[in-house]
Amino acid sequence: MIDESLLARIFERALRHGGEFADVFAERRSTLAFRLQNGHVHEGVVGLSSGVGIRVVCGESAGYAYSEDISEAALLVAAASASLIARHTPTGTQRGSRIGASLPTLYAARDHQASSASFAELLSRAESTARAFDSRISAVNAHAVDELQEVWIATSDGRRMHDLRPMVTFGVQAIAGSGASRGSGYAADGGRTSLDYFLTHPVEELASDAARIALVNMDARPAPTGEMEMIVGSGGGGVLLHEAVGHGLEGDFNQKGTSLYAGRIGERVASELVTIYDDGDLPEERGSISCDDEGNPGAHTVLVENGILRGYLLDEINAGLLGMATTGNGRRQSFAHLPIPRMCNTFMPPGTSTVDEIVRSTKRGIYAKSFAGGQVEISRGDFVFMIAEGYLVEDGKITAPIKNATIVGNGPEIMTRVVAVADDARLARRHYTCGKNGQYVPVGVGMPTVKIGAITVGGTADA
Amino acid sequence: MRNSMQALELAKNTVAQALEVGAHQAEAVVMTARKFSGEARGERITSLERSVASALTLRVICGGRRASCSTTESDPTILAAMIRKTVDAAAHVSVDPLLSLPEEFAPDDGIDLELYDSSIDQREDDARLTDTLTMERSLRSADSRIIEGGSSHYADATIGIAFANSHDFARAYTTTRASRSSSPLALDGSTKRTAHFGTAARYLGALDTCVEVAQLAAKRATELFGARKAPTGTMTVIFERDVAASVLADLFAACSAANVAVGNSWLTGRIGDRIGSSQVMISDNGRIPRALGSHPFDSEGVATRVTPVFEAGVLRSYLSDTYYGRKLGISSTGNAMGGGVGPTTFALQPGTVTLHDLIATTKRGILVLDIIGFAHEYASGSYSRGARGLYIENGEIAYPVEEFTIASEMPRMLSGIDAVANDICYDSDIVSPSFRIDEMSIGGA
Repeated sequence: MIDESLLARIFERALRHGGEFADVFAERRSTLAFRLQNGHVHEGVVGLSSGVGIRVVCGESAGYAYSEDISEAALLVAAASASLIARHTPTGTQRGSRIGASLPTLYAARDHQASSASFAELLSRAESTARAFDSRISAVNAHAVDELQEVWIATSDGRRMHDLRPMVTFGVQAIAGSGASRGSGYAADGGRTSLDYFLTHPVEELASDAARIALVNMDARPAPTGEMEMIVGSGGGGVLLHEAVGHGLEGDFNQKGTSLYAGRIGERVASELVTIYDDGDLPEERGSISCDDEGNPGAHTVLVENGILRGYLLDEINAGLLGMATTGNGRRQSFAHLPIPRMCNTFMPPGTSTVDEIVRSTKRGIYAKSFAGGQVEISRGDFVFMIAEGYLVEDGKITAPIKNATIVGNGPEIMTRVVAVADDARLARRHYTCGKNGQYVPVGVGMPTVKIGAITVGGTADA
Repeated sequence: MRNSMQALELAKNTVAQALEVGAHQAEAVVMTARKFSGEARGERITSLERSVASALTLRVICGGRRASCSTTESDPTILAAMIRKTVDAAAHVSVDPLLSLPEEFAPDDGIDLELYDSSIDQREDDARLTDTLTMERSLRSADSRIIEGGSSHYADATIGIAFANSHDFARAYTTTRASRSSSPLALDGSTKRTAHFGTAARYLGALDTCVEVAQLAAKRATELFGARKAPTGTMTVIFERDVAASVLADLFAACSAANVAVGNSWLTGRIGDRIGSSQVMISDNGRIPRALGSHPFDSEGVATRVTPVFEAGVLRSYLSDTYYGRKLGISSTGNAMGGGVGPTTFALQPGTVTLHDLIATTKRGILVLDIIGFAHEYASGSYSRGARGLYIENGEIAYPVEEFTIASEMPRMLSGIDAVANDICYDSDIVSPSFRIDEMSIGGA
């Protein structure tokens, strides 16, 4: 996107005051999206943005400037702005590089987006399926997005990378209403592929699921309150790994010492039943990246193995400061953002219990079939997640649905309370987005059904 | 950076081009932004970011069909192609007879809302970075239990908005904002604790000082030292003003016509109903001078105003743009924001008592200082969050508590508000004084 002679001038300007290295991240992102609201395809949305971000790295510090104007004059001004960091901080020596010889091919490159007509058809099919599911479905909203993100990465030491990342997302929200009681259900899928994905994964399944969950939540009773056993559903239950463990293992929090996992590699941090990977290199998954936003290949990283902490999620700056190699987890939302360590697809492999055994062994607790999201506080590891579909478990049986409730816990504590891991590991449907420092990136999660010995449930019914 | 005349010309030209290629109506916004942000850790500047950016948003209506486009492109050829693509996309949308531009636009009344502070725009980088270092030094002198690993931030921006539409309405205005914040790390025995405190304003002089920010952040980082798990049960809950504002943000979503009109709000069909206690006086006000939520007009060019939303607990109005207003049979309240509905300054009216008075008159309860978690739907009105705070016994703070949940239903929470404090601070577009709810479910040990 930027020719070599201009790159040379940019790097010369960027490193004029010092710094270990500089990189240039150029991006073009094209979006086509349609929204359906109450029975009508309501709006079409077209987006095209492009720009260049220039970074100068000095030890643990970074200078950054970006420009949407990609003229030579604007880029040289940006390079000069980024260079100013070196006047405030001494140049370091470390850099946690780990560039592979070639990038994996994880998704098919394409330069064309789906036709507008195909969006409208998918949305209408989802709408009529959700409506037909039950007469109590009172509203259906849906959206479909096709996005192409093309990135070029150049570093002052000669690395040149290019990645074309497709992404489709299709989501359905159904609302059920009967008298004063209302319930909402949501289902979504997609990935780094094309809208053809929905030929083999029909949107009707998403629409039926959204409608089914809305009805479950409409009829749900208040969730219990207090500490009890919890069964976490396979697939989407992986939000648990993402919040309770994943964020705490991101390199920036560990290099700065904010995370409670800092300096604990090799120590036991979880029950021996717990193994957790972060995979940037799974075909077509939402969190996959052929190369990260610093130009390093997406990879398979072992975070926890049989309860022992094995590694962190690293970008180049934090890897360098920790004296380690990057794991290819330096990601950014766009050219307007600095890369920071982020998860890709966080996954727990299968255990040996069966779901049936797990349910039968639970005397009194809840079954969190899926989560709507979660959040974590890094230093102590306290997390929450919001149940999207949940049930009571009474005397070894899954019984009544419970209303949207929040679960709270402490990451390291909960991980020592994993008492059973089932054999049904799977990746969740592809629709998760992770927010950190105001930057949003697509991620994936997955896990088998897991039982936690005790956790706090935030309902309104008596315990 | 484009000046406001150039931006306004681009907006007008874009509208004209859209009409040429088949749009019946169009509106365009050109946003230009100059931004700075800096971060310090200890004695060192660890991040310095600068940018100049510009983005164009175009909305077209073609015979009751709507499409929009947002782009950073400025090349005329690419822009022309984008405009055509947007008009083409509209052809695949259903016809909605309610879709057309507003009929009335903001009059040029000459009222200056004082949204621009040149001392922010012209601030030297060294002064901006010195703020971050001052906060870091003040953190350490505020409390010896603050350790290395935290950070302090200063950011500011100058944002220009130029708006034009096919009804010949064309106006531009410029705003500034600045913020200081501090995120210390503290050592509580073997446990690390983080906290955050920030201040934001349109005028540099309205910000809390660096020392104040650091001291409040240090207090937040240390006030939960030795926290225990809260007891499970039903008790009184006081929301400290920042977390009170987050409850109001959930309420705003339920008041938004964009949610009400699609059934995604527990307030659907409730206008005129008594929902809250008599203490619940909530309005949305786009006309407060120097407020972060104030704008001369909304993103459709409609004048901003004061809208009473709850009066003595009775729901009086939803907040709306033109389209969702028509769906609900009401006029726009000047709350169009970026293609949807957003707040100007959405606030609970402060009471006359202090936060200390609220605590002193609480027999048994929790002062909530921090909540985590968020709403993922607004249809059911269910409320459940993780929380941290201070346990109150007989009107006094007894000990800090954490790792517990607070839960209720939104209608029950509003009707349970029995006292509102006087400590409101206009540091965001959704603000609230501290308030007390007579009872909520606490899930803890």
